[in-house]
Amino acid sequence: MEKHEDDGQRADLMARLAAIPGSAPVEDRIDGFWISAPELDVDAMAREMKTLGCRFVTMTGLAHDHGETAIIYHYVRGHETINFKTITRSGAIASLAPIVRPASWIEREINDFFKVNFIGHPNLAPLLRPAEVKEGFFREPEPGSTPPTN
Amino acid sequence: MPFTIPVGPYHPALEEPFKVSVRCVAETVQQVSVDVGFSFRAIELLAQRREWVPGVTLIERVCGICSNVHAMTFCRAAERIAGIEVPARAVYIRTIISELERLHSHLLWAGLAAEYMGFQTLFMEIFTLREQVMDLLETISGNRVNYGMNRIGGVNRDIADPKAAIATVQAMAKVIENDVVPTFMTSATAKARMVGVGPLSKEDAIAWGVVGPVARASGLDIDVRSDHPYLAYAELGFKMVTQPEGDVRARVVVRALELLETIRLIAEALRNLPPGPLRAFEGMPSIPPGEAIALTEAPRGEVFYYVASDGGKMPARVKIRTPSFVNIPALEAMTVGQQLGDISLIQASLDPCLSCTDR
Repeated sequence: MEKHEDDGQRADLMARLAAIPGSAPVEDRIDGFWISAPELDVDAMAREMKTLGCRFVTMTGLAHDHGETAIIYHYVRGHETINFKTITRSGAIASLAPIVRPASWIEREINDFFKVNFIGHPNLAPLLRPAEVKEGFFREPEPGSTPPTN
Repeated sequence: MPFTIPVGPYHPALEEPFKVSVRCVAETVQQVSVDVGFSFRAIELLAQRREWVPGVTLIERVCGICSNVHAMTFCRAAERIAGIEVPARAVYIRTIISELERLHSHLLWAGLAAEYMGFQTLFMEIFTLREQVMDLLETISGNRVNYGMNRIGGVNRDIADPKAAIATVQAMAKVIENDVVPTFMTSATAKARMVGVGPLSKEDAIAWGVVGPVARASGLDIDVRSDHPYLAYAELGFKMVTQPEGDVRARVVVRALELLETIRLIAEALRNLPPGPLRAFEGMPSIPPGEAIALTEAPRGEVFYYVASDGGKMPARVKIRTPSFVNIPALEAMTVGQQLGDISLIQASLDPCLSCTDR
């Protein structure tokens, strides 16, 4: 894969990303491609990214409404960065770890912080969370803070 | 009969606190598993409970070695959200501090590698050099560890005497070029201890997602400084160092040769330091709603930050992925079939940082 991609290759890449099951139109931002796809088929996405020669960077968890968590999958391909944002379904989402080895630790970390059940993860044991702290503690309000009233 | 030896989390064979459980048959390693989290501080969560400016100070504490790169990457993400353009002089100063940080980090690691090999004289020579880098950083920033150079929109301090800094790093370059690099490249002791030890093939490097010198020592040509040029690297003509062998020696050689490229970058940036302001604005930053990622190349490899703002006084989300977080798991691939006595050297060849990993 060439690291420098011309406009045609970038357009082809954007089309491939948008064609992944559950994907959405690709937004070209200053910090890379962003795809906001609540219904993303993450297993299909991971396989397509592998086919495209993309390197998995990490995942970000963000607390979302109704106990759900937004998950952003960050990839790099040459000079491009690619970010898929999706939402957990009933607190769960398919694990990438069986096909993307470096996803294992970050999925364990997101489970520690946001209590996301990564279905199919081979060992969803705590990674960083101390034994006395409950999973999902990133969702809790700051001790002593006042909850929003509206 | 197989047996398992728990090494760590606090053990003289490990640089920092993590636990390596080694399953062996006689002296041959069959399987390794790694546990981390012994230095967990929840810095991401704390950063979401700090205003933007004290947040920079907090995030600089992610690591005691590559502190600058964390503060700078956080600032770059915030600057992207706010559309802030950093002045040229500040861009160059950030580049110089980043490379000085790489210089002292690589020297620290090279010194420890020499010590792990039982090469005490080389260890002393390298740590003398490292002390000179620390002195230079202290002269510039007033600090030896957390430099406090970055702010959202630029830098806090100028470099008062670039010529003196050039003279210092060029004097170091001579010692590194004449003594340190040749010793690691040609010494029979170093070769005997490192060649063929802790191998990681290019295919395994891709599969495990390793970054930085560990990846480049397995023949992967990835480096954020060239793949996603930032700061002044494109203008300075950054040259990447790779080695194909994928063993401990290749990791040593990549870092040793990077020392010379780092010194060249520092000298070049100091010579071409542009005039102008140090920061885009005075006073407190205002970060509008938005989100951004930022990638930079720390001494140990790619650092990733995701920062989100809801327009408030504090970041809504700060996500930090450090290079050690993806490099340490690859220890499992490097150690199978290796000798138990080499575990210490192999883990050291990753230059693992648990302060970064655990955050």
